[in-house]
Amino acid sequence: MHELSIAQEILSSARAALQPYPGARLERVRVAVGELTAIEPELLRFAWEALLEGTPEAACDLDVEWRPAQQLCATCGVPKARPPRGWLPVCGDCGGPLRVDGGQELDLLQVSFVVPDGENGHERDD
Amino acid sequence: MSETIDPRQKILAANAAAAAALRSSFAAAGTLVLNLISSPGSGKTTLLEATTRRLVQRLRLGCIEGDIATERDADRLRALGIPAYQILTGGACHLDARQVHRALDEAVFPPLDVLFIENVGNLICPTSYDLGEDFKVALLSVAEGDDKPFKYPAIFARAEVTVITKSDLLPYTSFDLDAVRRQVTTLNPDGVLLATSSRTGEGVDAWCQLLADRLAGKRRQPA
Repeated sequence: MHELSIAQEILSSARAALQPYPGARLERVRVAVGELTAIEPELLRFAWEALLEGTPEAACDLDVEWRPAQQLCATCGVPKARPPRGWLPVCGDCGGPLRVDGGQELDLLQVSFVVPDGENGHERDD
Repeated sequence: MSETIDPRQKILAANAAAAAALRSSFAAAGTLVLNLISSPGSGKTTLLEATTRRLVQRLRLGCIEGDIATERDADRLRALGIPAYQILTGGACHLDARQVHRALDEAVFPPLDVLFIENVGNLICPTSYDLGEDFKVALLSVAEGDDKPFKYPAIFARAEVTVITKSDLLPYTSFDLDAVRRQVTTLNPDGVLLATSSRTGEGVDAWCQLLADRLAGKRRQPA
């Protein structure tokens, strides 16, 4: 159960990304999690809620985009349909070996935030 | 007023930076570094003891041990005459690159040919954290069963080397070594699989030869 450590890294990365916006409050964070990262989206969301509980950003949502790994035929390069979380021993079409691609993503994609009036460091024209 | 930015960065960027710094210092020192990952009780420390007995006269070995509690593993390797530093995680299920960096600062090891980093016994969490190693080694003991690579695909997909341990138990179980080999190959077509028994010594020479070959290969590359 290392999802709490990962949630902490997401939070500190998101806050670091907001440094140019003084007073900004996190509203929504979107991450990508690959199947081969050994991280469970449900546990990650739970850890995120636990981490933010009681803070001013407790309402901030964590969106997790799940990125499954693909098995591609080493001969023709075409991805083959896998059972969910299952693995094909060989290519169902030609019987040849398959290679595994993707599923290693662990990325901070997008950070949405609110800047309260009067705390925005950037001048506005309106 | 709500705004959105797209940082598009690695969540573990801080760990990756620490790991990259470790990797360049290991390259400058010409030290081969392994990150050993397995379930508790699969025989990581016992394999390191068997490895040390065979290699200690030829290579300068050192070890960082990760455990939740006790200095027991580091003590076992120190008893064989190699420097060992124990990281106590106090409950955390994995090592990260910053812990390894601090450990090396505190341990002040002599120059090493091979540094073993024995991770906390856990087949899941340590997988995510780069420690600056040359490669990960997944260990799987015969007693754990032959279905584990597909059940824990992340580590077996990333480990360049899978070591089956306790192979002396093969005659007493239904463990299918070929089935494990097929699963590992499916997840990692370039992966190497070795069957070993630290008790009988089976396969340990091949494992030691792999270490010597990888060390020689690393030293041939420009740092």
